[in-house]
Amino acid sequence: MGIRFNEVSYGYSSFAQGLYTAIKDINLEITEKNEFIALVGHTGSGKSTLAKHMNALIFPTSGTLEIFGHTITNKRNKKIKYNDIRKKVGLVFQFPEYQLFEETVEKDIMFGPMNFKITKEEAKKLAKQSLNLVGLDDSYLSRNPYNLSGGEKKRVSIAGILAMDPDILVLDEPTSGLDPAGKRILMDLFKNINETTGKTIVIITHDMDLVYQYFNRVLVMNDGHLVFDGKTEVLFQKEDLTDYHLDYPNTIKVLKYLNQELNLNMNVFQKTNAEALAEIKRAVRL
Amino acid sequence: MSYIEIKNLTFSYNEKTNVLEDVNLEINKGEWIAVLGHNGSGKSTLAKTLVGLLEPQKGEISIDGLVMNDEFAYEIRKKIGIVFQNPDNQFVGVTVRDDIAFGMENLCVPREEMLEKISFYAEKVNMLNFLDSEPANLSGGQKQRVAIAGILAMQSDIIIFDEATSMLDPFSREELIKYIKTLHQDGLTIIMITHDINEALLADRILVMNKGKVYAFEDTEEIMKKKSIFTDSHLELPVSLDLANALTDNQEYKEIREKLWEYALMK
Ligand SMILES: Nc1ncnc2c1ncn2[C@@H]1O[C@H](COP(=O)(O)OP(=O)(O)OP(=O)(O)O)[C@@H](O)[C@H]1O
Ligand SMILES: Nc1ncnc2c1ncn2[C@@H]1O[C@H](COP(=O)(O)OP(=O)(O)OP(=O)(O)O)[C@@H](O)[C@H]1O
Ligand SMILES: [Mg+2]
Ligand SMILES: [Mg+2]
Repeated sequence: MGIRFNEVSYGYSSFAQGLYTAIKDINLEITEKNEFIALVGHTGSGKSTLAKHMNALIFPTSGTLEIFGHTITNKRNKKIKYNDIRKKVGLVFQFPEYQLFEETVEKDIMFGPMNFKITKEEAKKLAKQSLNLVGLDDSYLSRNPYNLSGGEKKRVSIAGILAMDPDILVLDEPTSGLDPAGKRILMDLFKNINETTGKTIVIITHDMDLVYQYFNRVLVMNDGHLVFDGKTEVLFQKEDLTDYHLDYPNTIKVLKYLNQELNLNMNVFQKTNAEALAEIKRAVRL
Repeated sequence: MSYIEIKNLTFSYNEKTNVLEDVNLEINKGEWIAVLGHNGSGKSTLAKTLVGLLEPQKGEISIDGLVMNDEFAYEIRKKIGIVFQNPDNQFVGVTVRDDIAFGMENLCVPREEMLEKISFYAEKVNMLNFLDSEPANLSGGQKQRVAIAGILAMQSDIIIFDEATSMLDPFSREELIKYIKTLHQDGLTIIMITHDINEALLADRILVMNKGKVYAFEDTEEIMKKKSIFTDSHLELPVSLDLANALTDNQEYKEIREKLWEYALMK
């Protein structure tokens, strides 16, 4: 039993705009183990709002949400320990600035683990390990998180959640702002965690290449609705993605171009550059 | 003298390490420059020195013949706009409308004209329905779009985009880029910091920063032929050129290689 949305809607109420329904009638099931899910959709489609439900940071306005067997509704239930849920489902925010508040990187990463029953020494070791995993060396431990570059902040915020070792990881645009090498390192890391520990991981991204290469299951949000929940291959085989405000991965686009320009008949649905290359060679040899 | 000139620029936040080291650059009026580089390579720092927000320890910056110093800083700031990497750093107002107006207010744009421009640019970034919203209540990509509108509305001669489209969906990004292309055709000088190689391909020239130094600064087409510049700098070539490189000089692939290059350089 992982996370289940039953007819969940969420409305933000603000002084200026009144009630704004950001997600509408969401039905969604995410298994506790072995899922690796991409969450995509246009800006403002409701991805971050959906993600914030997954660790009970916000509660449904209507409908119910089940997380590890706890039923969450719009009313606070005194019997539910919401903080326990937040330890089990780790959420990395879209803007790392919202997550960094200690005066050193080390303290920031230690913050989560220190809530568990571990010693300070152990937490320090964990901080170091997590930092290295995201591609930063030990010299960053003593740095002030506010004085880092954008991509460095992002990495530290991710390290903080990794150190907590939650059962499910939800990452809101973890690769935006990362350099291409960093993007690979982190995506490989997430995939590796998923494969070796079986932890379910949900990743929000606008990068269609990553979606195609790394994920089996993809969720598409559109104007607050969950409009697609299925296999990545099926999504990108659609004739037209403009309704979803999406685009095709680069391998598909490049191969389509070659087909059209050179009158070839290649199978354009190749996930990696290596697969695309093999397909080109095959087509030329014919 | 070039339109933008950076000479022997050295900058450090603390005495320990130089974040920018002996940077020399010349940029022409109307050019579109893309800036690539690993995380922490100094791109944002360079951008902030260019708009006078950070003062270098050594070196000189001049823009349109004006040297960046206390006397001309105000003059220079009117010529150059910057969209910050984190849009929250740009927001000061209570509403989206205030925030788009903010830059124009500093330029003393008359009220009537300002109102027109707010609508015009909000429409350009597809945020017309959000003018009364609080910037803090927007989604990530919506914040970026508002930040962009505020800078476009200032109609500066030069605009620096510091990863300004990093949280846009493919479709809105495409729309925005289309509009930026028209501004470029009308003479806007663009400095676009990005991790997206496909976005960088639109530039006339590409600057690669590596550990605070200028690692390469060349015509887009030329630099794309030098794979090692990319691999040395934590960067990747676009898919099309990665494929072109992998297809050896064998004659049977000649046509395909040409098409792959054509695809990469299509603007
Ligand atoms: N605190 C808030 N108050 C009012 N409206 C909000 C608030 N937060 C988000 N919204 C609105 O809810 C909608 C969904 O926002 P959300 O942040 O979930 O989108 P998103 O899919 O994550 O977008 P992005 O890709 O731009 O990050 C948007 O239209 C946004 O303006
Ligand atoms: N306020 C600051 N105080 C001290 N060091 C800083 C400060 N801001 C940035 N740095 C350091 O200066 C270096 C360059 O940072 P900068 O923000 O210019 O990098 P960047 O190329 O923009 O990186 P990114 O791609 O991650 O945005 C980094 O190593 C960073 O840690
Ligand atoms: Mg979001
Ligand atoms: Mg930066």
